[in-house]
Amino acid sequence: MQSLPPYLVITVCAIAAIIFGWLEIKRRKRSWIGLRLAAVLIAVVALACIALPLKYNTTRNIDKAQKHILLTPGFAKDSLPTDANIHFYTLDASVKKRMAKAKLLTGLDELGDSIGLHIYGDGLKPYQLEQLEGVPIAFHPSSKPHGVIAASWPEKVKAGDNLQVQGLYNNILNKKIKLTLKGSATALDSVTIEPRSEAKFNLSAKPKATGELVYQLYVDTALQGDVPVQVIPTKTLKVLMLSASPDFETKFLKNWLAGNGYAVAMRTVISKDKYNTEFINLPQANINSLSATILNKFDVVIGDLSVLASLNPAEAAVLKQQINDGGLGVILRADSTDKKTWLQNGFAVDRPSGKEASPGFISIGTQKSRSGKLPVGAAYINHNNGTQALAKTGAKTVAAIAQAGAGKVVFNIVNNSYSWVLGGDKEDYAWYWSALISNAARKAEPDPLKITFSSLPVTGEPVKFNIDRGDSGPILINNERVAPEQSQSVPFLWFADGQTTAPGWQTLQSGGHSALWYAYPGDQWLGIQSAQKIAATTAYQSAHPILSDVTKQIQEKIRIDVPKIYFYMLLLAACTFLWIEAKRLT
Amino acid sequence: MAEQAGLHKIRSLRRRWVTYQVLEVVLFAAYAALYAGAIAYYLISPKLLWGMLIFPVALLLILLVRKPWQMSDKKIAAFLNKEYPELEESTQLLLIPAQQQNTLQQLASAKAAETLSNLNVSHKPFAKKLVFAFIALLVATGFIWAMGKLFHVDKIFYTHDRDVAFCAPEKPEVLLPQVKGVHITITPPAYISRTPFTWDKFNITINENASLRWQVKTNVRVKALSLIFNDIQELKLQPSVDGTEWTGIKQLNKPGFYQVKVDGKLSDLYRIIVLKDAPPIIHIKTPKPYTYIDAGEAQRVNINATVDDDHGIINAQLVATVAKGRGEGVKFTEYKIPFAEEFRGQKTKYELAKLIDLPSLKMEPGDELYFYLQAQDTYHQQSRSDVFRVSIQDTAELLNMTGMVAGSSLKPEFFRSERQIIIDAEQLLKDKDSISVEKFNIRSNNLAIDQKLLRLRYGKYLGEEAEDEIGKGNNDLDNPEDFSNAKKILKEYTDDHDNADDAGLFEPAIKAQLKATLTEMWKAELQLRLYKPAAALPFAFKALRLLKDLQQKSRAYVAKTAYNSPPLKMEKRLSGELDNVTSPTDKQEIKAASDGQAALRTAVAVLQNLKQGTTPNAAQKQSLQLADQKLSENASAQPGVYLPALNAMRRILATSAPKRTDIELVERAIQKSLSPLNTAPSSAQSPADMGLSKQYYKNLKSLNR
Repeated sequence: MQSLPPYLVITVCAIAAIIFGWLEIKRRKRSWIGLRLAAVLIAVVALACIALPLKYNTTRNIDKAQKHILLTPGFAKDSLPTDANIHFYTLDASVKKRMAKAKLLTGLDELGDSIGLHIYGDGLKPYQLEQLEGVPIAFHPSSKPHGVIAASWPEKVKAGDNLQVQGLYNNILNKKIKLTLKGSATALDSVTIEPRSEAKFNLSAKPKATGELVYQLYVDTALQGDVPVQVIPTKTLKVLMLSASPDFETKFLKNWLAGNGYAVAMRTVISKDKYNTEFINLPQANINSLSATILNKFDVVIGDLSVLASLNPAEAAVLKQQINDGGLGVILRADSTDKKTWLQNGFAVDRPSGKEASPGFISIGTQKSRSGKLPVGAAYINHNNGTQALAKTGAKTVAAIAQAGAGKVVFNIVNNSYSWVLGGDKEDYAWYWSALISNAARKAEPDPLKITFSSLPVTGEPVKFNIDRGDSGPILINNERVAPEQSQSVPFLWFADGQTTAPGWQTLQSGGHSALWYAYPGDQWLGIQSAQKIAATTAYQSAHPILSDVTKQIQEKIRIDVPKIYFYMLLLAACTFLWIEAKRLT
Repeated sequence: MAEQAGLHKIRSLRRRWVTYQVLEVVLFAAYAALYAGAIAYYLISPKLLWGMLIFPVALLLILLVRKPWQMSDKKIAAFLNKEYPELEESTQLLLIPAQQQNTLQQLASAKAAETLSNLNVSHKPFAKKLVFAFIALLVATGFIWAMGKLFHVDKIFYTHDRDVAFCAPEKPEVLLPQVKGVHITITPPAYISRTPFTWDKFNITINENASLRWQVKTNVRVKALSLIFNDIQELKLQPSVDGTEWTGIKQLNKPGFYQVKVDGKLSDLYRIIVLKDAPPIIHIKTPKPYTYIDAGEAQRVNINATVDDDHGIINAQLVATVAKGRGEGVKFTEYKIPFAEEFRGQKTKYELAKLIDLPSLKMEPGDELYFYLQAQDTYHQQSRSDVFRVSIQDTAELLNMTGMVAGSSLKPEFFRSERQIIIDAEQLLKDKDSISVEKFNIRSNNLAIDQKLLRLRYGKYLGEEAEDEIGKGNNDLDNPEDFSNAKKILKEYTDDHDNADDAGLFEPAIKAQLKATLTEMWKAELQLRLYKPAAALPFAFKALRLLKDLQQKSRAYVAKTAYNSPPLKMEKRLSGELDNVTSPTDKQEIKAASDGQAALRTAVAVLQNLKQGTTPNAAQKQSLQLADQKLSENASAQPGVYLPALNAMRRILATSAPKRTDIELVERAIQKSLSPLNTAPSSAQSPADMGLSKQYYKNLKSLNR
């Protein structure tokens, strides 16, 4: 709108003020004359101010220095500064499409020596950050990406165990999302994520085969990423069973272990110094008295409290030494003996008088026995420091575990688990005793190679390996020799770099041992990749920040319009007053 | 005469207009019928009937609404005036008879008639709507046809009167190129039907023990043609003279699959689904599993049942057993009770009813009847229901005094026990014919009074207030000594609600039962007061039974005192001579049971590799072969479930670059058939830390404190 010449506006308004003032003065009623005159004046001045283009002067800081901005996927266009002296770069063709004025780089070295680099979006991968060679950056991260932003599952699962995939899903959409875990083209478990929420999820499936399996996580019908897992067949253990008298619990346990191909030696007292001995899948030996050589052959000893408490001093000492130093595991079965042994330390059994407890489900960790309720009696294990509850019925602990030197001691007060087998519930029986024996058993030979990654291994990009291993020889990744670097603080930790182009299972060999790792296609687990990039870039930024005094600042004078709204309000207020005042009289 | 010609022209134009209108209505009716018919076809039933019904209805409706025959000549004339200015607005004059026209009108109409006769009236304004209707109809037809084709509407909507195969159409069977077609004659077993039926597909669903006759036609002359069942059995078909028609007969009683082998070439797998004959299903509606007939109730049982079978029932009967006597002298008698219905074998459902009069089975009070229903179907499969029990209350047992005459608490004479009331009531019923009505009523009323007294007596145990004093008129205040004895006065004139001796001594359960007893006594009293001792008897019996139960409950059981053994001498224990006793020892080698599904389990990982595009090596191929055998075993047991997967597996084995859909089909089938892995204990692996953690734990020795 063309504004009117100021002098015209002022003249018209002055005349108007005089006329209105004259009219007010001429009025017969003389009350509030001062206020009325003031209101008229204010109204006319406000009218004049609305018509006149009013401005005021101020100063502003501006950055004259050249600014370099690196755009990475995930940046928001409206968060970018709009100054003229900015150079945009990118490494990504898809970013170039969105932001045509950005210069597409083939490598970070093309950036040259800039004083500071501003990074917008998800940031850079660790290997790319290394290429920056300490250039200070200011990172402006994008908001949390959509999708799975964290996920975890064991890389190796024992046969018979559940595969659990846990993670965090950030749903920024306005609709529900269904996460499905699929294996062998069959949906195995699923969970629904509410709209606009960040939710934890926990999916589980029981692998039905051994070997290298690849499960998939689907978001609705789109593949989010592969879930590779190695299912390890169980290795049989050697079990020594000692019992003070023949009973069902021992017999059923022996039969079950033997039926699974385990090596079992059993010694049952049948009279004074007379033993019934049985050897299954084991060479016959004299186990009437325990010695270090005998105990050394076994992974776990299962015994009644009466037997273990009445061992002669020599045997007891050997057992203690084997547990503390050799890592042997012991499972104690409570009975009514009043003799004491050091193995019982820490396990306090309480037996409240009164009604016998009704049968209950047994739970280990988060898992519950499937169908079989077991009458476990009124006794329970009181929690003591140094012990850990292993199995519970309701709130009562029925089996607990304690560390004893290098070995483990499990204290178990369930004496009738065989009734599960009699009731046809072999699965619960196997589950209960597997948990007890697995927890107690002597640790197997160390895993010769354990690989971890600091970021998701993706095809076509450098992969950083963290390898736990005992030897110091060369490492072959996919049959290509790489030079590992030993950690300076942890002697068995080695770092290596590798790369692969084909997705899927890959090999890593070291000192005659070989391990498998999985390379993901670049388009999988995008949320995790983004989250990892943000984390890595943020860490790099805190190590190499742009110091603020480096940039020059220049002040510039500018003129700013006075907002008209205030004058409108004044005019309205003055007119309202005059109107009310006129009404007051009538 | 020109005017006559003009009038004629106008009339012909009107006819033309009416014809076009009717045609248009017909088209619109067809349009409506097409849409309604299509909806009915896709949603309700795949028949054209609906469309055919709707067409005439729609036609009639539109005709009635539009009424095209009502078009008048005047309107036509007005139309002509409007369309053709050369008629000079005088067409309508032609409609006025010549005699009534004035001179001016005659002149004008003559001119108009002449113009009109030379006028060539275009069809365009008449046919405009007709063309529109025609185009709409064409578009609608195309649209509906495309809907049906594109969206497979016939598959989406399913109604009960379409067979299952229709709503889930199968892929067409893949035949060998030489095979032209098949004609299978299926003869069901004789008990189902004697009439054979024919089938022209290789995939078959048959009844158990049906016999089949294949007639396979070939395009060309082939040397040998046989059917291979479950990869094992081979049935060689016999050729006709020209060698293009082959026949073979086989009876089938197991599900599975088969292939056609022509000159050494094998076809796809075809499935055989065998429907097993189901045994009859029996459902007994009445009586309840356990029926108790109280004394006084009618000794009858009404049995209502339904028997259901898939092909027919040839027999159904009740098998009843009567148990008499008690203790060791129980005698059983078995009866077979037929139903009135005649079982022919064709009917598949029977509603059966039978009324059993218990005395006719020589049952007496205290006896029990056990019965079940047995049915037999046309395949001679028997099934029977659960056993139901009916018992009649033993009044003799209830009335005897054993166990009741205990202690010395003799009751005052004015109490008649419930037992006595029952006996008296029965006596009264016997005497009914020999005594007068008044006397009968008086005796009944007296019994009611007795019943009331008894009720009040038991009511006291529950803390109920006595309505009046029983027995002596208690007046403790007669004694002058008690003058101004506050306690005694209070006792006389107040209620002892809080007296713990009177109330609240029993457990809630006993109290409830006592209350139930009192209720029965109330009911018995009511009937006695109404002079109906017969009706009172069931209540009295029930009250007696409850009372007896209460007495039994109040008894405590004390076990016999056991033998007291002398104390054990611990020092003597286990001190016997054991030199000659050898320690038994046992040695066994037990192998873990081999996993029958190992072949399938190894195939899982191989298939996953295949999916990623790697070509299998020899060992992997071998494991796929083994899995194929296992799948074929599964398919012969459940062809409906596993046969498509087996077919897919064969395709995978045949090519080097298998299809992803095939692999997924096999994967799904394997996942379905596999049982979960056994849970077994195993030791955890220690980390590869050069023994560092082991050393740490050794030094920790947390329990060694």
